Amino acid sequence: MLKIAKDKLPELLKAWAINAAVFVPQEKGGTRVFQPWDGQPSLTLDGGNTLEPPKDLFFPRTETMYRYEVQGKEAGVTEIPTFDGKMVLVGVRSCDARSFLIMDDVFLTKGYVDEFYRRRRENTRVVALACTQNAPTCFCTSFGIDPGRAEGVDVQMWPVADGYLLEPITAAGRELLDQAGELLTATDTAPPPAAVPGLVVDVTGVTEKLQGMFEHPYWTAVSRKCLGCGACTYLCPTCHCFDIQGENRGNSGYKFRCWDSCMFSEYTRMAGGHNPRPSKKERLRNRFLHKLQYFPERYGKFACVGCGRCLDRCPVNVDITRVIREVKEVAL
Amino acid sequence: MAEAPVNPLVPMTGRIIKIVEETPDVKTFHVTTEQGKPFTPLPGQLAMLSLLDVGEAMFSITSQGPEHLELAIKRVGMLTDALHEAEEGQMVGIRGPYGNGFPVEDLKGKDILFIGGGIGLAPVRSLINYCIEHREDYGHLWIIYGARSPADLCFKDDLFNNWPRVENCRVDVTVDKGDATWQGHEGFVPAFVEELKPDPAGKVAVTCGPPIMIKFVLQSLEKLGYKDDQIITTLEMRMKCGIGKCGRCNLGSKYVCLDGPVFTLAQLKQLPNEY
Ligand SMILES: Cc1cc2nc3c(=O)[nH]c(=O)nc-3n(C[C@H](O)[C@H](O)[C@H](O)COP(=O)(O)OP(=O)(O)OC[C@H]3O[C@@H](n4cnc5c(N)ncnc54)[C@H](O)[C@@H]3O)c2cc1C
Ligand code: SF4
Ligand code: SF4
Ligand code: FES
Repeated sequence: MLKIAKDKLPELLKAWAINAAVFVPQEKGGTRVFQPWDGQPSLTLDGGNTLEPPKDLFFPRTETMYRYEVQGKEAGVTEIPTFDGKMVLVGVRSCDARSFLIMDDVFLTKGYVDEFYRRRRENTRVVALACTQNAPTCFCTSFGIDPGRAEGVDVQMWPVADGYLLEPITAAGRELLDQAGELLTATDTAPPPAAVPGLVVDVTGVTEKLQGMFEHPYWTAVSRKCLGCGACTYLCPTCHCFDIQGENRGNSGYKFRCWDSCMFSEYTRMAGGHNPRPSKKERLRNRFLHKLQYFPERYGKFACVGCGRCLDRCPVNVDITRVIREVKEVAL
Repeated sequence: MAEAPVNPLVPMTGRIIKIVEETPDVKTFHVTTEQGKPFTPLPGQLAMLSLLDVGEAMFSITSQGPEHLELAIKRVGMLTDALHEAEEGQMVGIRGPYGNGFPVEDLKGKDILFIGGGIGLAPVRSLINYCIEHREDYGHLWIIYGARSPADLCFKDDLFNNWPRVENCRVDVTVDKGDATWQGHEGFVPAFVEELKPDPAGKVAVTCGPPIMIKFVLQSLEKLGYKDDQIITTLEMRMKCGIGKCGRCNLGSKYVCLDGPVFTLAQLKQLPNEY
């Protein structure tokens, strides 16, 4: 096990920042979000997870895809070079680390590779941070996530009294730590126990139960208070839906994609006005079924990581843990 | 064949080389690229077509030649209005092919009953033409087609000249309501199917049209004794990416853009009724 003193961590980030953009959770307008590290010498990584997940680093809110020109009957498309920078993400929690693996399934498998996502993902190193503090809305362990050790990351980090323990997980992670030089010392300190969330929900059998519940009146009941604001989907680290739009100026313009949400009525509305999900009932049902039934059927895992952001921020307290519990109780 | 961009979301540029007016609101566009045919789709596959400064939408590839693809497009909104205003020679963006296409291998050796309504003949036509090109692989072909009025019949040349001349191929056409010039059958497609009584033995029925027509055609086919795995249809959902990423076109755990648009009725009955 390796260790770095707390006041040396900025030096380590500085070393990484020579070749890459380093992102760390930082306060911005009173909320914690992942931001490019500004070089500040004091740095606190504790204080719970970020309000917004780091998914926008791989899947930006808006991303230009290509440019075009149209002159009369002539037209041309110019591909925009895909991202070729490097990123190091420091302080990713286990739940968000799992969400990256879920996003990988979506963007990198099933016949097509999303090049925009792939470039960012492959050029990023992830340094995870074990949780020693969690929110009352955290329930990652319900999905088999260990808040003390993340999956699919390059380096695992644990906070200790006077610094951080560091363990390289991948070759890329070892390279990162090799850049630390003198900053790291060997230690036989054992990693501290992780903070285990108090919120627990038993998810076994929920997929099977939901398979018989498409027409259940429960969905009308649970959707009644939903405002259709979409906050739950924007804050969710596993929500990946997007729209494609264009911006036209004179003879040229560009096409971009931007986050979209199945909670919006326009989302599935077709030409001619037919909408397969005409009301909040169908939309909220789709969101929960997608996370708990459809995604497991398609990719073999839940599309929820128990980060609790949606239940924490929903203005009317729609709570996925309560939905899971209630779904298991209603009669078929 | 043209070289597709590495990035599946970026279209290649193509050109409309021919426009056929099918009906007052449907035109068929022949599209090619400087390097030849944009790609070689299976019957029933789809393409994303764009007027770059207007928008992009998914269309069935209704047929193909050695050097071009054909898309039959109904004028219903912004993009399709603009396409209908476009002239031959106009450059467009195109990407694809998307979707599963019709199960041409499984259909080998079978008689096929095609039932289309309105522009819903567009995807079915690609399979009809394929079966005609590979005539020896398929049994008897029977095409039943209907439109609102004689003027609304799409692909008239195929319906009245090309297909009836094909060996072992029968074509029956109906219109909801005829006019002074119309000598043919009048009445809705589902009722017409029941009148014609195509025997289910050894047949597969392939149907596409407006949702309401499909619904009643399925009932008619059931009455005639067709089983769920003898019926194939194609679905439409709002689409953006076409490659199973944007999440828009899901039907349960299936994406219509990847796993469809072609489904058997047996498969559809396994999926949530949300289309
Ligand atoms: C798998 C698949 C295959 C498809 N195949 C074809 C095809 O072969 N040919 C084809 O033409 N289309 C096909 N479509 C539909 C096509 O993708 C577009 O959705 C459609 O053409 C509308 O395009 P638009 O952008 O012009 O409409 P928009 O600009 O989105 O405008 C649509 C607007 O027009 C109005 N409108 C639309 N339809 C009607 C109507 N029937 N009556 C009255 N008002 C209406 C409504 O106000 C609506 O908001 C297919 C779609 C899918 C998903
Ligand atoms: S955050 Fe709550 S109110 Fe807003 S769309 Fe989601 S469930 Fe509905
Ligand atoms: S559904 Fe809610 S709890 Fe689950 S991952 Fe998304 S935001 Fe977190
Ligand atoms: S169109 Fe994007 S998932 Fe089907």
